[in-house]
Amino acid sequence: MTGSDFNILLPEVILALFAMAALLFGVYTGKDKTTGLITWATAAVFALLAVWIGVNGEGARTAFGGMFNDDPFARFAKVTILLSAAAVLVMSADYMQRRGLARFEYPILVALSVVGMMMMVSAGDLMALYIGLELQSLALYVIASIRRDSAKSTEAGLKYFVLGAFSSGLLLYGASLTYGYAGTTLFSGILSTLGEGVPLGLLFGLVFMLSGLAFKVSAAPFHMWAPDVYEGSPTPVTAFFATAPKVAAMALFARLVYDAFGAIPADWTQVIAAMSLLSMFLGAVAAIGQKDLKRLMAYSSIAHMGYALLGLAAGTAAGVQAMLVYMAIYVTMNVGTFAFILSLERDGKPVSDIHALNMFSKKEPLKALAMLVLLFSLAGVPPMLGFFGKFYVLKATVDAGMVWLATAGAVASVIGAFYYLRLVFYMYFGKETDGVESRMGAVQWLALMASAAIMVVGIVNLMGIDPAAAIAAEALVR
Amino acid sequence: MSPALIAALPFLGALLPGLLIRAGRNACATVTGFVTLLALIGLGLHIPAVLRGEVIRTQIDWLPALGLNANFMLDGLGLLFAGLILGIGLLIILYARFYLSPRDPMGQFYTYLMLFQGAMLGIVLSDNILLLLVFWELTSLSSFLLIGYWKHLPEGRQGARMALAVTGAGGLAMIAGMLILGQIAGSYDLSDILQARDAIQASDWYLPALILILLGAFTKSAQFPFHFWLPHAMAAPTPVSAYLHSATMVKAGIFLMARLWPVLAGTPEWFWIVTSAGLITMVLGAVIGLFKDDLKALLAFSTVSHLGLITMLLGFGTKAAAMVAMFHILNHATFKAALFMVAGIVDHEAHTRDIKRLGGLRRLMPVTFTIATLAGLSMAGIPPLNGFLSKEMMLEQAAHTPPGLIGLLATLGALVSVAYSFRLIAHTFLGPQRTDYPHKPHDPGFGLWAAPALLAGLVVAIGLMPMTVAGWLVDAAAGAVTGTAAHAHIAHWHGLANPALWMSLAAIGGGLVLLGLHPTLDRLWTALPRPEAKRIFDGLMEPLAALSRHLTAALHPGMLSRYLWIATATIIIVSYYAFRSGSHLPGARALTEVEPIAAIGWLLLMAASVAVVLCHHQRLLTLILIAVVGLMVSVGFAYLSAPDLALTQISVEVVTVILLLLALNFLPKTTPRESSVPRKVRDLGLAALGGLAVGGLIYALMTRDFAFPSIADYHLANSKTLGGGTNVVNVILVDFRGYDTFGEITVLGIAALLIFALTESLLSPGAANDRLRGWVSDTPDAGDRHPLMMVVATRMMLPIALMVGIYIFLRGHNVPGGGFIAGLVVAIALVMQYMASGFGWTAARQRIDYHGLIGAGVLVAAATGIGSWFAGRPFMTSNYGYFEIWPLEEFELATAALFDLGVFLTVLGAVMLALSSLTRLAVRAGQTVNTEAFDMQSELEAEEP
Repeated sequence: MTGSDFNILLPEVILALFAMAALLFGVYTGKDKTTGLITWATAAVFALLAVWIGVNGEGARTAFGGMFNDDPFARFAKVTILLSAAAVLVMSADYMQRRGLARFEYPILVALSVVGMMMMVSAGDLMALYIGLELQSLALYVIASIRRDSAKSTEAGLKYFVLGAFSSGLLLYGASLTYGYAGTTLFSGILSTLGEGVPLGLLFGLVFMLSGLAFKVSAAPFHMWAPDVYEGSPTPVTAFFATAPKVAAMALFARLVYDAFGAIPADWTQVIAAMSLLSMFLGAVAAIGQKDLKRLMAYSSIAHMGYALLGLAAGTAAGVQAMLVYMAIYVTMNVGTFAFILSLERDGKPVSDIHALNMFSKKEPLKALAMLVLLFSLAGVPPMLGFFGKFYVLKATVDAGMVWLATAGAVASVIGAFYYLRLVFYMYFGKETDGVESRMGAVQWLALMASAAIMVVGIVNLMGIDPAAAIAAEALVR
Repeated sequence: MSPALIAALPFLGALLPGLLIRAGRNACATVTGFVTLLALIGLGLHIPAVLRGEVIRTQIDWLPALGLNANFMLDGLGLLFAGLILGIGLLIILYARFYLSPRDPMGQFYTYLMLFQGAMLGIVLSDNILLLLVFWELTSLSSFLLIGYWKHLPEGRQGARMALAVTGAGGLAMIAGMLILGQIAGSYDLSDILQARDAIQASDWYLPALILILLGAFTKSAQFPFHFWLPHAMAAPTPVSAYLHSATMVKAGIFLMARLWPVLAGTPEWFWIVTSAGLITMVLGAVIGLFKDDLKALLAFSTVSHLGLITMLLGFGTKAAAMVAMFHILNHATFKAALFMVAGIVDHEAHTRDIKRLGGLRRLMPVTFTIATLAGLSMAGIPPLNGFLSKEMMLEQAAHTPPGLIGLLATLGALVSVAYSFRLIAHTFLGPQRTDYPHKPHDPGFGLWAAPALLAGLVVAIGLMPMTVAGWLVDAAAGAVTGTAAHAHIAHWHGLANPALWMSLAAIGGGLVLLGLHPTLDRLWTALPRPEAKRIFDGLMEPLAALSRHLTAALHPGMLSRYLWIATATIIIVSYYAFRSGSHLPGARALTEVEPIAAIGWLLLMAASVAVVLCHHQRLLTLILIAVVGLMVSVGFAYLSAPDLALTQISVEVVTVILLLLALNFLPKTTPRESSVPRKVRDLGLAALGGLAVGGLIYALMTRDFAFPSIADYHLANSKTLGGGTNVVNVILVDFRGYDTFGEITVLGIAALLIFALTESLLSPGAANDRLRGWVSDTPDAGDRHPLMMVVATRMMLPIALMVGIYIFLRGHNVPGGGFIAGLVVAIALVMQYMASGFGWTAARQRIDYHGLIGAGVLVAAATGIGSWFAGRPFMTSNYGYFEIWPLEEFELATAALFDLGVFLTVLGAVMLALSSLTRLAVRAGQTVNTEAFDMQSELEAEEP
């Protein structure tokens, strides 16, 4: 434990200190009156850290005897996490203010959960993994139920907590089994014990840990919390859930399987492939019957996680690269889509019924067009950026020899396209019903338009994330 | 001009109409037309080279990692299609200028049109199947915008939705097909794939790839069973229908089949799938078209029928048939686009497209009539027009293809096609002039009829001089499709021996008869039940939606127990799978002997655990049973030589059970019974499976050695030398893992504060507070709240208990004990006072602020850690030394003891704060607080005046 260790952790340390300082500041000054200030300050810190990590980081370093990794993979994930968290934070400030939810704890909790996520993606040890994961989860449990006077929000928080605790328990059990058989909690140590015959206990440990992590990424069949929690939580919280934590959990997933179990890919690619297949189909089919936009987005995220897992199931560097590209694109799409959902209201009350979108294009042609682009992109229709993400993972899977899996993925995307296109249909050709207002602050407008523009312009060179993802994947898959 | 630039021009041009709309509608149309013309000229410059058999390519790397390159190529096939797209596009731009009413936003229309044109050009010029896919879906998107152009028409909505859903889904399915194709060929460039025929057809993945690609092609080209969306998309403005739904977009599927013809065609699978789909579509489309009264609907189904014809020809898999297909594509585009424009003119002038309300327009609209007749006769296949040429060649191919049914059905299709073509002409233009047109029709201005007239001219020209006008183009296209040089022999007369002649004659004759019978048949048709496209579409979608609803109802009813059940079951299944696939080696460690006493203890533990499950509805009983379990676990620790754990366990047990008991006072005494018996059985099975699996795992774990040496040895060896204590557990707690302990006591303190905060919010006005006020105990009190015996006993116990606490604290570093246990023991001593003598009495006698106690504990621990900084050591480094103070013997002092004091204080404060919080609840619930220790005394005082 030396100064150089802390140097490597400096971004995390700074963010943690910032969160605590902001908490003290909030408590001792204007409490909820300082919400706006703290929100913007937090987002600014996120953005600065993202730039710092993105520009400054070089090579791969470890701290605390290998418990903490700072490598291109971690940096890629961290930049994605920080930027998406910042975007979600600033675009929901307006909503929170209007709905009387502007508590100063909200941005602070988000900051703490982001610290947890940064720990997660850098974890090099089962302990570090668990601590990061719990730091993230605990903050999320609280913000899921931040609207305490709403039964739905409280239920969402409680469900999330119980299922989250269950998954943490699974993960811990898996970790202790792994430790029991490997005799070490270090990923590199676990990897070094994997010889010819894999001890059964390690296999169980792997299964349990994968199940626990599947909960966090909401991959089927551990996805059940997502629809309820997405629907019940206030929309900004849902938007947050759908973005940064997903990236973190997916990165942790990759880190665990490669850093700790990279020597036995055959044992986990099957499990991941099965989860991915289930997620893609379940997300696609179940979303068709949904009437609520937020619930629909929950199923959509389940399906998207299925595609991201497809990249991991390939078990190759190209697969990890595809997964990272996919997640970055996914997050961008979701930021835009939620910026739109946040703005929907009728008579001053938030609306998330899909029928509210009827004939929206007549009222707001530009916003409708932006949403059209985003929805097409979510469906993976070329030439939107979403297609490239999907194609990346499908190609990685095919190249890894899993043609059947890729074919199934493409078929699932056909089913999934139906409900995205239905939204487009409602916006452009729906019935004449009492429509919906879209009240947008400048930030939300910017988020929606920027993300839609990226979906179109980004196809030129994938916004340049491609080489970065390749380097990140190389760092992980050695 | 490179092919890439030709494809890019319309996209660049798409910006112009929007920019120039302020300059007027003519400027807008002119500039759009100019861009198209420029692209057409660029294309024209390549004609000589293409006719020489050259392929013009442009290669641009886009995302090489994905295999996606922006490679374009222009060969004969591309030339034919690009020529159609640009040529008819130019005419449509002209036509639309005069067709659109002044109210329609023209700039927007032209922008969408140019986008679409660019996408179509992209498809036909791509040299990379991924690039082709990109453009493919771009046509779906831009066509969606075009179809939705007239947003105010309600009938358009369903059509747009269907078109989007069907073609979009087909395109996505195609992605998978293309992926497989690229995987087999090892490249996504078309030029490479076209060389890989043998590899592709030999692959196991040939059939899936074929089906997936054909799904894309069939949906786009409205082939059976996806033919239903096209007529419904016809609510779009007529220029759109003419361009998208007759000349270009629907031919994209045909183009794809032609493009991949060299690698995919020629197998039995291809023959049967493609030919039968084409044949069915051809006949079905024609029959439905015959009974449509809407001019555009009639033309729409006729288009479906003709597309089927072309598909069938491609399905034959012979080079001759492919050439006929190319020829018919050209012919169909000319006469069908002309007819659509005519339908638009009629609609524009007469304000209706209903054939039943038309008729006799011959004299009112002579120019339109002429155009329509020429194009219509060509559609019917009447010599010498171009439709006749390709239809006769088609019939010849069909006649030569076994089984004979194909020839028969092809003739039938041609026959019906003659009937509806004649009907179109006869029922619209011939017959007596009517007086009840919605609007008095007359020929439109030159601008509107110029485009169809030009097309009609082409119809005649190709018909009269096929080899001169079209032969070279057909040769080039057919050469590109088949990969070998082709030479078309197009002629009107093939001799009497040709079966096609007789089939043609039969078709024309039969068609006339059918037209004569039309009124009768129409009544019959109307009376017959027949599948409605919308109903089929909904019928397809409804089961999917129902499946989705069932799935969500079964999986996500909002019940937490269901979620947990599914998750647990999954884990057990996956674990079983892992168990089956892993290797099983027996453990290396020997088992220890089982002593009878220990066995009894374990049996007791198990019995108590089972009893907890069985009795869990009785909460008090459950609590007692849990206490028994805890006790047995403590004993177990002691038995397994872990006195520290045993001590900790038992004191924790005592404290938690007491606090739980106090809390239970305010809770229902029983848990409601909610589960049904089958569910209990199911859960029991699941739990048993899970439990057995976990037990087995632990057994396996404990009978083998670790891969690395266990950390226990290190601690055993260094506890005394580094930490200064012989009690390893305590040294670990306060020294080796001092950080952890510091964190833990902080958490413990926070937990206690949280209990306090929760109590605060419970006691503030609100629903919970009201419930508490109205709380009535459901079991009567025993009456003796503070029994004398107990009061006296606890008084005597207190100093002893405190002494024990201090003793345990002090000995902690070397023998079992320590701050944590000491804190609990002292807490128990104090809790006993509270229980025996009541809160009020006790609180009055000890005035320690529990919050302060917790804070002091954490601070003391922190200060100890910081202290090491002054010695120039890192945080939390401990030190110890030996001291001798008379009259005591030499003893050891470690800084860790100070740290332990912090632990002690925090634990004590936390327990007491929880207790006082519970008491405050009791007070709010109506219990009295006595200031005296004995009930007896207070009763006596009450009796006094």
